[in-house]
Amino acid sequence: MADSTKKKITVLMVGNPNVGKSALFNRMTGANAMVSNYPGTTVDFTSGTLIEGRQEYEIIDVPGTYSLEPRDAAEEVAVRMIRDHPDAVVMIVFDATKIDRGLYIALEVMEQGMLCIVAVNMMDTAHDKKISVDTADLQKVLGVPVVATTATSGEGIRELAEQIRKAQVADLDKIIKRLNGEIPDKKSVGGCGGCGGC
Amino acid sequence: MQKKLLELEFGERGVVREIRTSVHDLNCMGIRVDRELKMVTKQPIKGPVVVLLGEMQIAIGLDLAAQIIVDVIGKDA
Amino acid sequence: MVLSTDSRWEVVDRIARRTVAYGTYKRTLGDVLGELTVKPLTGIPVAVAALFAFWSIFCSFAGALVTDGFMVKLFDSHWLPWLQSVWPDPASWHYFVFVGDPLADNCFEAFGVLTSGLFVSIGVVLPAILIFYLMMTVLEDSGYLPRLAVLVDSVLHRIGLHGYAIVPMILGLGCNVPAVTATRILETRKQRFIMMTLLAIFIPCGAQLGVMLEVIPDMIGLVFLCLIGGFCLFGYILNKVIPGENPEILVDVPPYHWPIRENVVKKMWNRTKSFLKEAVPFVLFGVLLVNLLYLGGVIQALAAFFEPLFVTWFGVPKETVGPLIAGFLRKDLAIAQLSVIPMTAYQMFASVVLISIYFPCVATFVIMLREGWKELCAALAVLFVVVFVYGGLIHAIGILLGVA
Repeated sequence: MADSTKKKITVLMVGNPNVGKSALFNRMTGANAMVSNYPGTTVDFTSGTLIEGRQEYEIIDVPGTYSLEPRDAAEEVAVRMIRDHPDAVVMIVFDATKIDRGLYIALEVMEQGMLCIVAVNMMDTAHDKKISVDTADLQKVLGVPVVATTATSGEGIRELAEQIRKAQVADLDKIIKRLNGEIPDKKSVGGCGGCGGC
Repeated sequence: MQKKLLELEFGERGVVREIRTSVHDLNCMGIRVDRELKMVTKQPIKGPVVVLLGEMQIAIGLDLAAQIIVDVIGKDA
Repeated sequence: MVLSTDSRWEVVDRIARRTVAYGTYKRTLGDVLGELTVKPLTGIPVAVAALFAFWSIFCSFAGALVTDGFMVKLFDSHWLPWLQSVWPDPASWHYFVFVGDPLADNCFEAFGVLTSGLFVSIGVVLPAILIFYLMMTVLEDSGYLPRLAVLVDSVLHRIGLHGYAIVPMILGLGCNVPAVTATRILETRKQRFIMMTLLAIFIPCGAQLGVMLEVIPDMIGLVFLCLIGGFCLFGYILNKVIPGENPEILVDVPPYHWPIRENVVKKMWNRTKSFLKEAVPFVLFGVLLVNLLYLGGVIQALAAFFEPLFVTWFGVPKETVGPLIAGFLRKDLAIAQLSVIPMTAYQMFASVVLISIYFPCVATFVIMLREGWKELCAALAVLFVVVFVYGGLIHAIGILLGVA
């Protein structure tokens, strides 16, 4: 990514249905959002532009899906979009109250060797439900940037936008080793996942 | 005591022991072996059941609910 | 590295155990309401009330307030007389095409591109669509829709669908185009096909509803009854005839939350925008085409050709052939046209039902074509059978009751 100041980077927003993905999308992109039809299907998706620093991103709101083994037409499109954009950054959106579901698709995406960043959305609802998510620890385990957001109030959106450039390819081997305590948590200063992107 | 998920009574809680159908879709919704469920409501004329899983409610079709075996562990008021 | 499903879930559990902590949670009023609205004993009355409220707001706002209170006055007493006075040469072909009947005193009867065309699209249909999408978006964003889906699941399961089919159904009451797109939330081809076919045949769109409210306000209940009856009857038959699976409902029932104003506005705007882009040109073009066909004598010829079928089988006057052709472009337009044909109440009723069921409008047609031409052809085959059988059935019932 030597010419990253010029080339537009595609960001795919992937996540379960109803995790506030669209609200997050609306927050991040301006008024220039465009609804288009995915070629060869009837499934529509929304795309928009985000300019952060000197980098222009094309953000694509991928139809919600529970896994990369699709159940219906919309999920098939999600799978195809990921396959068709191997160089894209994948922003995986979690519902803070349903972390396990988000983690499942996150792992599936990570297995594809894509650049990943995680947004743990709906933090306000989680707070109301007395669920707390340790995003710093999540970042440490996954080895990709993890940002807590609340799309409805706009909390965490700036940070999320800034972190896109630090997206990492996750290493499943290392994730498992970290879980087993085989790799000591290194470079955990300042909630950094030791990604080396900074 | 083991019974089918659809046989749980209102407010009864059970732990999933076995899923006798394709597990993928159910798993993706968070319904997995060892998970605790609570019956919220059953719809009349063979309608779906609604169960509470953690803090979320999930509606499950009747035939699907018949394939899920749970251990009854208690009952809430 | 690729994990197996089981080990993936294991990793998920281990990560979740490590990073997520649950406190003691106290149920809120929202949770209690959430449960009450999904339990059948309390939920069904609430659902009926919600749908009734939906309908009455739709009628009073779109029908009474905007259309009757404002648009009719604007168009009939200002726009039409002005246009009639400034357009040259009332006997010419272009007067007929663009302004229509020089003696007309309202915009339904004039039937020119710039009179009826504009009035139907802007004056009648736009307010209906606007209020419809506003309410739909609120239903969606508040989290009520999944509860409604659970409540209607047992009924829809009988016709091969499941509760979530309520989404394309309600959307279809706005416009069939997004509704056909929304059928993708159904899992199997069989379900999608049944839903699409029933949508195209039995669900009248918001534009049609708006015009029906204007033209036949006292018959609308009866028309609905016929459409719902047909929906269930043919849905049941299709489910029995078409091979394939009907997966069951498996959905989240999310907690209620207040819709966020910006999101509602944005969604509504997007939906209305695409409606304006697709519908208004079609209405104007439709009026133009029908008028040109009249001038060329094509409609009269078709009317003569189809007369036996229409008069003896369906029991409606032959003049309805014209509106039926217009109906391919826009059904709202066709119903507006029907209103000026002299007919008995029964004939009016029968032809409105016929127009509703007989053919999807061209925009729906195109979107269904995108879903696959095989499905479209099959849907059309079903449609012809349904129109023929159901049209005849209504006529037969009419004869038995002595009104036809």
